[in-house]
Amino acid sequence: MQASAANVGVRHRLADSPVVADAGDVLLLQTEGLTKRYPGVIALDDLTIAVPRGRVGLVGANGAGKTTLFRLLLGLAHPTEGRVEVCGIDVATDPIGVRSRLGYMPEHDCLPLDQTAADIVSTFGELSGLPARAARQRASDILDLVGLDEARFRPIGGFSTGMRQRTKLAQALVGDPQLVLLDEPTAGLDPMGRDEMLALIARLGSFEISVLMATHLLDDVQQVCDHVVMIDGGRLVVAGTTDSLLERTGLVTVDVGTRGTELVAGLQLSALRSVATDGLVEVTIDGDDDLDTLRDVIADLGLPLYRLSTRLTSLDDVFLSRAGSMR
Amino acid sequence: MSAIGTGAVYDRGYRPYEGGRGGRGAARFALYKASMRRALGIRRTWRQKVAPFVLLAVVTIPAIVNVGIGYVTRNEVFDRVEIITYREYVGVSSALLLFVALVAPDVICPDRRQRVLPLLFARPLTGLDYVVAKAGAIVTILFAFSFLPQVVLFVGNMLVSDSSLDYVADNLDVLWKVPLAVGLLTVYYGMIGVAIAALTDRRIVAGAALIGLFLVTSITSGILVGDVDNNGGSPAALINVLALPLYLRDVIFLGHVDPESPLGGVDNGGWYALGVYVVVLLGAAAVLLRRYRWVER
Repeated sequence: MQASAANVGVRHRLADSPVVADAGDVLLLQTEGLTKRYPGVIALDDLTIAVPRGRVGLVGANGAGKTTLFRLLLGLAHPTEGRVEVCGIDVATDPIGVRSRLGYMPEHDCLPLDQTAADIVSTFGELSGLPARAARQRASDILDLVGLDEARFRPIGGFSTGMRQRTKLAQALVGDPQLVLLDEPTAGLDPMGRDEMLALIARLGSFEISVLMATHLLDDVQQVCDHVVMIDGGRLVVAGTTDSLLERTGLVTVDVGTRGTELVAGLQLSALRSVATDGLVEVTIDGDDDLDTLRDVIADLGLPLYRLSTRLTSLDDVFLSRAGSMR
Repeated sequence: MSAIGTGAVYDRGYRPYEGGRGGRGAARFALYKASMRRALGIRRTWRQKVAPFVLLAVVTIPAIVNVGIGYVTRNEVFDRVEIITYREYVGVSSALLLFVALVAPDVICPDRRQRVLPLLFARPLTGLDYVVAKAGAIVTILFAFSFLPQVVLFVGNMLVSDSSLDYVADNLDVLWKVPLAVGLLTVYYGMIGVAIAALTDRRIVAGAALIGLFLVTSITSGILVGDVDNNGGSPAALINVLALPLYLRDVIFLGHVDPESPLGGVDNGGWYALGVYVVVLLGAAAVLLRRYRWVER
């Protein structure tokens, strides 16, 4: 499958590299020096990224430039400088071709309230170029997929927030896109609705549909995305595979029972930085040599080793530290 | 022995679409069809179906009455009574202005108010496609609602006449004059209706603005022109946005502006009317294209 193949081809690179895909990957999107200026505001500033197919989280605070990037990807705005390619197509030269391959789920309410979900989704299927009969059939299938099979003949006006979000996702999927742009897909959902929406998004990868999910909820990204692009103030903060970003703490947590202070002293002699907290020792590690040193110190001191684990940061930690250092 | 159920529940999952796919043209046609359905109340509650079809019935009544009188008096010795001519019937279609005031805002305003436009423009559609599809839908319905009663009138008159073939032969000019006049009228009303509706996201405001525009220009023109019977017509008649296409109708049917109309007696009145007509249409098109110039620079 495309998504799997792309994922296999992804190299875990340094997280501060803007590029998260190998050159051989089929790229989902690629930007070069992408800049968008409005009067008095720089919405995007020299953004260069290359993202492979898969589920990609676009993370940033409100006003970070996520929606502007979506508008540029859809060809609804022209970049002030730079260029952007989606699914290998230059948006500037063929915006219609790009839009034919995309599905888009906006953050805000955007559905006609007096129409049924079946009508809306089949109409958007036709608008994506499907013949009328195929659009009706796919609307039925997709609404079934998102869990609205029973409610599809009810007007949207009577839907709950969760049902509206599912309808928005259905209209984005009905045209069988290669890529769906999801803008805050879990906004306004209760915890159960959020989990269900994330589960749906996670399934899209197995349908060979790539996802670019804009959100400020890093937990959502951590849960479903295999790549992350973080932007702040229109500038790239960090991009990489989710795993590579989470491994970047450089901290190893060691449980040696009550003899933590002995370990800290021993590590100090070996020039490894460590600190004892809450009965555990956190050791700063920079590569495999440091891990070997840690192992040797523990063995030389005859300490019991109950647990040794790499401490993963959350994406929140990554974002806050990286964005903070940029400001 | 009772039967044992053998059914199973399947997760149908997702099947990619592998059939043919249209481009801009298909998307434009899909939006055109969806707008037509909305305007006619199809796949909507019965209340939304009432207005269009009641209006269609109302504008068809004169044709039915005319044909009915023709049928009742078909064996009388006196000349046939015609309560309405084809030319006058084009004027009846201006009653569809009410339809435009109801339907154009309903087809246009919710897209902006309910923020559907971002979804539409995320499809292979341009602003021009949107304008063509929406205005095309309104104009098509207006044309159909204006033309169908004329067809009823023509076919009815033909059937109650002494000789159907002679009737057709005597009225061949009607076959091009009516569609042309109705086309000019419906494009005009449709474009103005859609352009005004595009300026606001509130249906009631758009409808009121449209009716207001026609009323104000009509009254203003009436005051400026004054007493037509004593003073003759005046170029000020061209201010009347409602009546403007009726002057062109007269040119089509009579070959000149009706001397008894408020534009009667004005030199080159027909050309002036055509000029204002074109300017109004271009203005409406400019408003629409600017309003839906969705791609920002």
